[in-house]
Amino acid sequence: MRLDPRTWPIAAKVPLAVAVLMMLVGIVLSERVLARLNETQEMHVRDLAQSYLDILSTGITESVLREDTWEVFDAITRAQDLSKGLRATEAIVTNAKGHVIAASNPRQHPVGSLVEVPNGGSPGMQPFRFEAGADVANATRVLAYPGRVVGVIHAAFDTSHLAVERREVLTALIVTNGILTLILAAAGWLLVTRMMAPIRVLSRHLGAAMEGYATPVPEATIARSGDEFRHLFGSYNALVKSMHEREDLARKLFDEQRLGSLGRLASALAHEINNPLGGLFNAMATLKTHGQYAAVRNNALGLLERGLVGIRDVVRTTLAMHRQETSGRSISAKDIADLRLLIVAEARRKSVTVAIRNSVDQDIPLPSTQIRQALLNLLLNAVAAAPPGSEVKLEAARHGDVLVLVVTDRGDGIPATGIDVLTGEDSSPPLRTGGGLGLWTTRRIVDELHGRIEVSQPSQGGTVIRIAVPIEKPIEELPHVA
Amino acid sequence: MGTGALNRRSAMIATAGLLLSCSGFARAHEIVPERGLRFGLTPVFLTSDLELLGRLQAYLQRTMGVPVSLITRRTYQEITALLVSRQLDAAWICGYPFVAHRRDLQLVAVPLWRGKPLYQSYLIVDRDRPAEGLMDLRGDIHAFSDPDSNSGFLVTRAALAEHGLRPDTFFGRTFYTYGHRNVIRAVASGLAASGSVDGYVYDVVAELEPSLTVSTRILHASEPLGFPPIAAPRVPVDAGRLTALTDALLRMGEDPEGRAALRMLRLDGFAAEDVSLFDGIAAKAALVAASG
Repeated sequence: MRLDPRTWPIAAKVPLAVAVLMMLVGIVLSERVLARLNETQEMHVRDLAQSYLDILSTGITESVLREDTWEVFDAITRAQDLSKGLRATEAIVTNAKGHVIAASNPRQHPVGSLVEVPNGGSPGMQPFRFEAGADVANATRVLAYPGRVVGVIHAAFDTSHLAVERREVLTALIVTNGILTLILAAAGWLLVTRMMAPIRVLSRHLGAAMEGYATPVPEATIARSGDEFRHLFGSYNALVKSMHEREDLARKLFDEQRLGSLGRLASALAHEINNPLGGLFNAMATLKTHGQYAAVRNNALGLLERGLVGIRDVVRTTLAMHRQETSGRSISAKDIADLRLLIVAEARRKSVTVAIRNSVDQDIPLPSTQIRQALLNLLLNAVAAAPPGSEVKLEAARHGDVLVLVVTDRGDGIPATGIDVLTGEDSSPPLRTGGGLGLWTTRRIVDELHGRIEVSQPSQGGTVIRIAVPIEKPIEELPHVA
Repeated sequence: MGTGALNRRSAMIATAGLLLSCSGFARAHEIVPERGLRFGLTPVFLTSDLELLGRLQAYLQRTMGVPVSLITRRTYQEITALLVSRQLDAAWICGYPFVAHRRDLQLVAVPLWRGKPLYQSYLIVDRDRPAEGLMDLRGDIHAFSDPDSNSGFLVTRAALAEHGLRPDTFFGRTFYTYGHRNVIRAVASGLAASGSVDGYVYDVVAELEPSLTVSTRILHASEPLGFPPIAAPRVPVDAGRLTALTDALLRMGEDPEGRAALRMLRLDGFAAEDVSLFDGIAAKAALVAASG
């Protein structure tokens, strides 16, 4: 476990917090209980000591006055027998000057020996000393008769049983609190683990969603969860569902876009074919009428051939464009040059010239179909945006391991939403933003090829769109590189 | 005296000891109305010792056929005073006051202990004390039984007088316990370093309560002296009652109830003895009186 508590799992933090709180509560409670016990014990000992001293002092005051050693000794013995519960361990009776008259243990305090008179010993003063947990309590009683100090009783009491009781209470408190703390910490851990179970399910699903395909939380799991989490799981599942729908839609749109641009191409193609058709029919009519003249025939046949060659080129390019290719086919200089054929009809219609500057002189191992599709979309948009008479430029170049394609137009500039779609700032489906489907398709293609799109708008106007696609070297070429 | 938990056995010892050794400090204890025979006792009769008193009183009443009052007083001096002033028919007193008031008193009977009307005084010290005689006890805290006791005071006092010494100068400090058993307790507990005690009481205590005497030893035993006697005023209060009392005491061993009382006192019986039995005590009293 790492040291920073913030990184600890909640399943560890909650039981730990419970344990710490319980320990705090335990310490405070124990302190209160022990303090109360101390008070009770002290009161108890004090009361017993007072009664012991009362018993003793009542019987001996006159004997003390007479310094009657035996009477005092006998009274001490009797008092100790009468107060067995008090466990008086020692009693010393002195005269006013502190000389022992008799003591419970005469060998330790012989008759006549001097015992310290307590400070400020005066009639009525009854000092009492008891320390919690100590084995001995001390009490002193000054004897006055009448009003004159005649002697002092020093008594000591065995309080070891109270110390034992205190230790037992302390042990019981520690054990009880310890067990309670453990039980509550375990309960906390169980509770948190149970409460966190739905969060873990959600976390697992979100993790899976991040790494790949998001799956909804199973119905059985939802049914087992509480209301709050059922709602959460429902929301999550709705999210997953909408994500799937979006992805399906995007795929569908991608396909439809392809078909859409195909439609536009087909229209351009029909136009391309239709244009020479008139001339071809004219040439055929000329041949029918004046076919016998060699000069006219040759001229007509020449017209027919040129017209058919033009049609054949257009058809061929279209076929090449929409042939179902494997993505493995490399892009060549010709693929880029062919784009002119695909765009020329639209350009002519808009009176825009298309300039293609292609410095790619060898095949590049990138899927030609997708790149041409992306470029075609950009060119169609550029032509659409370009004012009549202006020029749309396509530059293709290889910079090391990157294929760089730049489409430049002199139009009014691409709208901000278009830029967002192209650069990936806006990842919402195309229909929601209402942006161009072509731009969105282009971004998708470039993303699939791990490329990057940059959009700039030069101060003189127009738009520059720069696509950079990293070139993955085919494996068989590795030796040459090495 | 004694402890709250004192059992009947030790109560009996205390009774016996004090009865026979002239120690005082009794609580007044009158058992029958003041008619008939008035018999004085010096000892401390503990409240728990009613059995011995009851037996003694019952035996005397039955044998004599008159009511018997057992009179106790706080000190021996009080009993002696009552006896000398003829307020008592008879009393169990000590040899020392008997010889002191010899002219006013007559001897009724003397108890027999171990077959003889004699006993000794013991000088006791702590068991582990290396002393060899009285002269080694100089400067001690010494426990006496009673100033009117022969064994618990006079014997030691006389022994010192033989050396020209007095207790208050020879000993560092002295005190009276007013009971021979208390002298043993004082020495056993260390309250006193040495004590003068009745040999009869010491031996009975050693037999019945060995835990009390085990930490003490007899440093010195005196010569045999006359056992504390039963005495009556020289002029009897009632001559007939006194004769009946003498008869009852001398025949005590022949009666089951009397034997039970004697057994409790560890005595063999009572005998009529000559007054000369107490000459030894009289000599000591004279020595002490002469030494001032």
